Amino acid sequence: MSHVSRRHTRDWPLKVAAAILFAQMITGPVALAFADGPQADPAGISTGDKTTAFDAGGNAFVVSEPTDKNAPDYAKRKKAFDEFQAQAAKEPLAMKLADDVGHLRISTNFSWTLLTGYLVLFMQAGFALLTCGLVRKKNAGHLMMLNFAAYVFAFLAYYVCGFAFQYGATAINAAPTNLGGTPTLDRFLIGSGLWGFLGGKGFFLSGPAYDAGSLCLTLFEVVFMETAGYIIIGAICERITFWAFILCELFMGAILYPMFGCWVWGGGWLSQLGQSMGFGHGYVDFAGSTVVHGVGGFAAMALAVILGPRLGKYGPDGKPRAFPAHNLAFVVIGTFILLFGWMGFNPGSTLGASDLRISVIAVNTNLSAVAGSASAMLLWYFLFGKPDISMACNGMLAGLVAITAPCAFVSPNSAVIIGILAGMLVDLGVLFNERVLKVDDPCGAVSVHGYCGWLGAVCVGIFADGTYGAGWNGVGATSYLGAVGQGVTGLLYGDYRQFFTQIGGATLMAIYAFGVTYAAFSLVNAMRSIRVSKEVELEGLDVPQFGLPAYPEDRVELLAPGSQVQARA
Amino acid sequence: MKRIDAVIKPFKLDEVKDSLTALGVTGMTVFETQGFGRQKGHAELYRGTEYTVEFQPKILISVLVVEDLVEPVVKAISDAARTGNVGDGKIFVSSIDDVIRIRTGERGHDAI
Repeated sequence: MSHVSRRHTRDWPLKVAAAILFAQMITGPVALAFADGPQADPAGISTGDKTTAFDAGGNAFVVSEPTDKNAPDYAKRKKAFDEFQAQAAKEPLAMKLADDVGHLRISTNFSWTLLTGYLVLFMQAGFALLTCGLVRKKNAGHLMMLNFAAYVFAFLAYYVCGFAFQYGATAINAAPTNLGGTPTLDRFLIGSGLWGFLGGKGFFLSGPAYDAGSLCLTLFEVVFMETAGYIIIGAICERITFWAFILCELFMGAILYPMFGCWVWGGGWLSQLGQSMGFGHGYVDFAGSTVVHGVGGFAAMALAVILGPRLGKYGPDGKPRAFPAHNLAFVVIGTFILLFGWMGFNPGSTLGASDLRISVIAVNTNLSAVAGSASAMLLWYFLFGKPDISMACNGMLAGLVAITAPCAFVSPNSAVIIGILAGMLVDLGVLFNERVLKVDDPCGAVSVHGYCGWLGAVCVGIFADGTYGAGWNGVGATSYLGAVGQGVTGLLYGDYRQFFTQIGGATLMAIYAFGVTYAAFSLVNAMRSIRVSKEVELEGLDVPQFGLPAYPEDRVELLAPGSQVQARA
Repeated sequence: MKRIDAVIKPFKLDEVKDSLTALGVTGMTVFETQGFGRQKGHAELYRGTEYTVEFQPKILISVLVVEDLVEPVVKAISDAARTGNVGDGKIFVSSIDDVIRIRTGERGHDAI
């Protein structure tokens, strides 16, 4: 009998966990069934109607009744409302048509958001090629598997709780009106009102998240999280164990990315600083220079510091040694694929083709990319006499990362300047990390994504010209800085508060991403080393980790597979 | 029987092969290899970090000839492979104890 009781004793943590998960899964739909609040729309049959019909200027078709009797424009708005009511009564068919129009607008935006999301998904292939090409041949399979497994495991973590943490409360302060508003995602797990820290609805993408609009948002946002997930590969490759890597991806998808993502995009406290503290439009990051690339880059830096440099990277005198890329063709193709995918990353972040700023965003993105590459190549040429292929590619990526936050808010000229700055920063960053900090970063992930991500957010605070973003984060919908329709504005156009908010938020991101990752994985590393053994690292990780060399014909015994008659003893 | 090994620059392979077949040499073995001679290596930069390039890609051609053909073959290879620049290569002549053709079992001069 004693062995039976011992088995039960070991089982109980699993049983408790299973009970909690089950309770979580059913409370969602059960709560909705009994709730008065908004209902989830999994079939998409009640999303989009006349209330989602807007004109080019963003004016709603449906005129709402003014509630504040003491507002200065109350009389005017009451008159407009009364006129609308009269017209609606006279033309019921027009009202029905407006329902169709509103639905059509939402449909357009759904297809836009999903298709641009698929483009961002394709960036996974680009990054896989880029990083695989930049490392040594003996680790090619290892790099490919890291990139592959990153997508797999981070996605699952995001499904379990990442999306809920990031967007569970988005309807409160950051409802995506282009997708129908996702009204069921309306609760903070930690925080409330203008000071939210973590969302609390939509675990396992069930209940309130099992909704057409909500899942449209999920698809788009999960591929952004995946981008942060694979960025870390660039700095930890060639020496990380596979189990530790899976842990990194689960960590990224479940909590590290979603928490900061909630603060900036999910209606959390950083985005609401404009309303709560008067800090401009709050912290602004259009498509994720800091939310995605900065978090990925600084988490990568923390992991690279814990892991230490690759064997043989630094000589006894501390001088770095070169480990040249094994396939520059992959590097360039990968960079082009990333550029192509970025056409989804930036313009897609409007969450709708009904927002015609998408064309400006697309052009700004490309301008910064090419300016970044040109500036990186030129600077490298002046420093070392030959333009380096991998730095030309890193320069383009730096330009892309740096424009990701400001792309919607700046002019094409500013986009070029931002690209030039990013190209120079990435060159200097790579040299600084390698020679001064002695942080071994095989693919330059920390410089491209960390440093240039920070730069991108700060550039919002410098170059934003106010032509877009009126009402961003709930600030200045009617007027801002004395001008009607004034959008997000930077230092050069008269808003110093935005500049300081951007610097503060971006720096906080760096401290957060580096600090939390360093703390968590120092703990993991103390329990069990996250670095492979010396013998494995010298042999190459393909065979020890996965049993499959990426280039089997490099080995004499595999030169002619299938022709072996029998294995030698 | 003599074995002639010539370490040459890779882009000279076709020229050397043609001049050998013109002389009546019927077979050869070619190895892709790397090497250096009296010339020193030079420094290159990868992402700002210096590394020394010492070994240069080379091709090693190995042919077997009867003693009478040694001097003509050496001259043919030298003329075909020479560029006048550092790194043209070297030719080694050595004696061979025996040669066997695997398909027929012939040995000695019949097997060349």
